[in-house]
Amino acid sequence: MFKAVLNIPSAEPKDIRWFYDQYAPMLLGYINGIVQDHQKSEDQLVSILTSFVKDVVLQEKSKLNIWLELRQYAQSKLTLFTAKDHHLKPNQFVNQGKLDLLDDLQKQIFCAVYYHGKSIPYLAAKMDSDENEIRNQLKLSIDKMRRVSGN
Amino acid sequence: MEINKIIESGLMETYVMGIATEEEVQKVLSLKKEFPAFKDALEQLEYDIEVLAQSMSIEPPAGTLAKIEHEINEIQRRNQAVQTAEPESRHDKNDQEDKQERYIEVESESNQMRVNKAWKWVFIAVFVLGKVFLASAIYFYLENRQAQEQIKELKIELKQKIR
Repeated sequence: MFKAVLNIPSAEPKDIRWFYDQYAPMLLGYINGIVQDHQKSEDQLVSILTSFVKDVVLQEKSKLNIWLELRQYAQSKLTLFTAKDHHLKPNQFVNQGKLDLLDDLQKQIFCAVYYHGKSIPYLAAKMDSDENEIRNQLKLSIDKMRRVSGN
Repeated sequence: MEINKIIESGLMETYVMGIATEEEVQKVLSLKKEFPAFKDALEQLEYDIEVLAQSMSIEPPAGTLAKIEHEINEIQRRNQAVQTAEPESRHDKNDQEDKQERYIEVESESNQMRVNKAWKWVFIAVFVLGKVFLASAIYFYLENRQAQEQIKELKIELKQKIR
């Protein structure tokens, strides 16, 4: 169960099929949350996974948790979508998963951070709130979803 | 305990969500080294975020893996071709220099070239100067030919006078 956390691949590190099975569905869900268009998301998935495998996996450069690095990599490749001024409304195209557990404020903060990489100071200014409050709400929202998973 | 306070502060969440400042990242990395409890909590959080992403995952359409494998194989084939070409070129330095002279590296895949508009005036000036030089060359060539003919005639006249 801790295989992913400890970054221990079950197969060869260069096994693309293993990497794809492990991360492609998660990445497509994540990209779709940003791009909000299924066809564009699938195109982006191919492009991002290909370049990530080439730049990071095959070079064995990854030092972080793979999913964390892959998510940040995807975010950096989708600046066209993430750079625009975020409207802070929950995204209807997202496969909600455990997001339904969150109240509106928590959902807004979590989605802005998770999908659009918005910083705490940005959100505090945008929502006319305190940075500590935003940080606290972010932690609460993550804790809520973790509790459901039994952690 | 101090470390528990830090774990509960929301610092780990900011780091795992990828929005930590450089200072916060350094703090997390040093705490991870120093405190095994912090390291365990951070790894557990990373795992939980992965589980969360799994709950929001979407199955890619069939054929996506084949597309990715094809593109990666293409890239690897291209890289191998470059790598095998490199040692051969190292054998002869002169060959390499010749290649550099023969080929110009082009950054873009497009065969179009963008040029600053200011170059228009330079091209016009070069064109006009080219025309002026061409006209001058023709003029001086004709002048020279005429002069040569006159010299020839004068020489003939001079020879006849001497006789």
